[in-house]
Amino acid sequence: MSDRAPLGGSETTKELPKAYHDAVLHWQRHEFPDYPRLAQDWEHYFPKDQPFCLCARIAQNVSDTIDVGDRTGQPKAMAPRDLEPEAAHQLLAIIRAQASTEFGSIQQHQATLYRANDPADQAWVLRVMAEELRHGYQMIHLLTSADWSPVTDQKPADMVEEILSMKTGSHVLAAFNLEYDSFVDNVVFCAVIDRVGKYQLTMQKVAAYKPFAASMPPMLREEAFHLATGVVPMRRWVEKAAEPSALVTMDQLQRALSKWFARGLEMFGDERGGETNVKLGLKDKTNRTAQEEYIAECEQMLDDLNVRYLRARYKDKDRNAVDAIYAGLKKERGRYVGVSWDEDLLKLPHRGFFRRRGELAFEPIGFDGARFEDVETYIAHVLVRLPEAYRASQDVKHWADTQRKVSRGEMTLKDAVRSMPRLAHVGGACPCANSVRWVVEEAAPTA
Amino acid sequence: MSEARIRALTELDIDGLTRIDEAITGRYRPEVWEQRVVYYMRRDPDAPKVAEQDGKVVGFMLGEVRGGEFGLDEPTGWIEFFGVDPTTRGGGIGRRLTEALLAHFRERGAKIARTMVAARDEEIAKFLGAMGFTAAPLTALERPL
Repeated sequence: MSDRAPLGGSETTKELPKAYHDAVLHWQRHEFPDYPRLAQDWEHYFPKDQPFCLCARIAQNVSDTIDVGDRTGQPKAMAPRDLEPEAAHQLLAIIRAQASTEFGSIQQHQATLYRANDPADQAWVLRVMAEELRHGYQMIHLLTSADWSPVTDQKPADMVEEILSMKTGSHVLAAFNLEYDSFVDNVVFCAVIDRVGKYQLTMQKVAAYKPFAASMPPMLREEAFHLATGVVPMRRWVEKAAEPSALVTMDQLQRALSKWFARGLEMFGDERGGETNVKLGLKDKTNRTAQEEYIAECEQMLDDLNVRYLRARYKDKDRNAVDAIYAGLKKERGRYVGVSWDEDLLKLPHRGFFRRRGELAFEPIGFDGARFEDVETYIAHVLVRLPEAYRASQDVKHWADTQRKVSRGEMTLKDAVRSMPRLAHVGGACPCANSVRWVVEEAAPTA
Repeated sequence: MSEARIRALTELDIDGLTRIDEAITGRYRPEVWEQRVVYYMRRDPDAPKVAEQDGKVVGFMLGEVRGGEFGLDEPTGWIEFFGVDPTTRGGGIGRRLTEALLAHFRERGAKIARTMVAARDEEIAKFLGAMGFTAAPLTALERPL
């Protein structure tokens, strides 16, 4: 027995059939070229951890009976045909969306991975990317190891092809269609967007489809490290931000939070929905309930970061004194000996700020929750709070144009929500000159 | 004051652990606790436990199952770091943390739990004795280099 950490509890691992396994590796060579570096760096940054495995990991100690919804107490489905048609249909959409987020985040991380100013932070993000690849692999396992024909005419190979063909800009959820501006985005994304992932995986642990429920615990265990990959570098950065020579400032972090938080909120789905998934036994919380818990957790994260910053600013003061200063600053939204609540500390935007989907989509709600009457004033208010590089993006331009049209009554809310990036039905998009598909079926043996 | 809830450690507990350490040792060492928490987060995040009372971390116990150390081949649940807020001691939080961590060790297949206690930490030794720990047939040795 080695001294490496054991696999959590009782788990089995599975490899995809060769055509799909090769398709994922083929995708990795194009979209995640740094992946081989992980094996080289593993012993240095993650000594004695279990080696990374590109495989599906299935928990064995998962309940056999449905935990929530109309069929509570009944046996969990072992195949899609055992689910109610509506549940199977809904679940297929969830798995596809989940797969899209896993592969999509790798594409986003890869673009700015080399801009990390700390090799350890870079190695952590590299591991996060590899584990997202494994999560995507896990979703492909779910799509290809069961018969989904009762709810879709699409063949498994075509479903995989569609997922692997998505690019930043054509993914299912908006958060995965934004490009990163710098390594700050790699880190803030882990803290803010992966946190939504944790909520989704936790809710899905109860899913009425057992193979899906059994996929959640191993993914959740890895997600814990992803959140630390966001929060711990941010903690170090805010401490350094108290010094005049800081490379990453509180202002930069605040702008990145303003960029990602609204997209994170929208990943929960419309605040008024989610009852159907609970009723069907696929999740155990409605969208609003989960989103509210997420907001509270993000608040806690920012309190933690702000206190760390203040401890560095007031090195001569003890814990109780700094706690009292922070409580006063937060309550009064004021100033204390050189520190301003508005200018120096991290704040969570109001949940209506910069929204494009859900109950507050395109409502002109400002950072602090104030409602704007004039759309141009509102757009200027949002722009000034976003990272400079992001302000120049197509994404922001599209939002501003759409916001204007909605506010002036030139576009319906429904059309505005629809006009955001949506799933692109693209097939055969491998960029290799000698191939037109990611999934290449093996040639039948000749006699 | 509500009863403490025992749950798995998360990355948002770093400050809570730092606070307890500061209250016990008088030293502010956030970077030390960041490093330790990340270690567990990447290996077995379900293992380390914290006690939370009224939204505040009032105790923690960090450990994991490993095998192969010191020639001890069998999977061993190692208790490595442990602290309870001095203002909440005596309320059974340490006992509940230990029980939760030992239960996790059993789930992970360990049949034995081990730890080491500094000779001067009589209070901790007494607590662990009350939790069923006895002297092991091993002696911790050291020499200056």
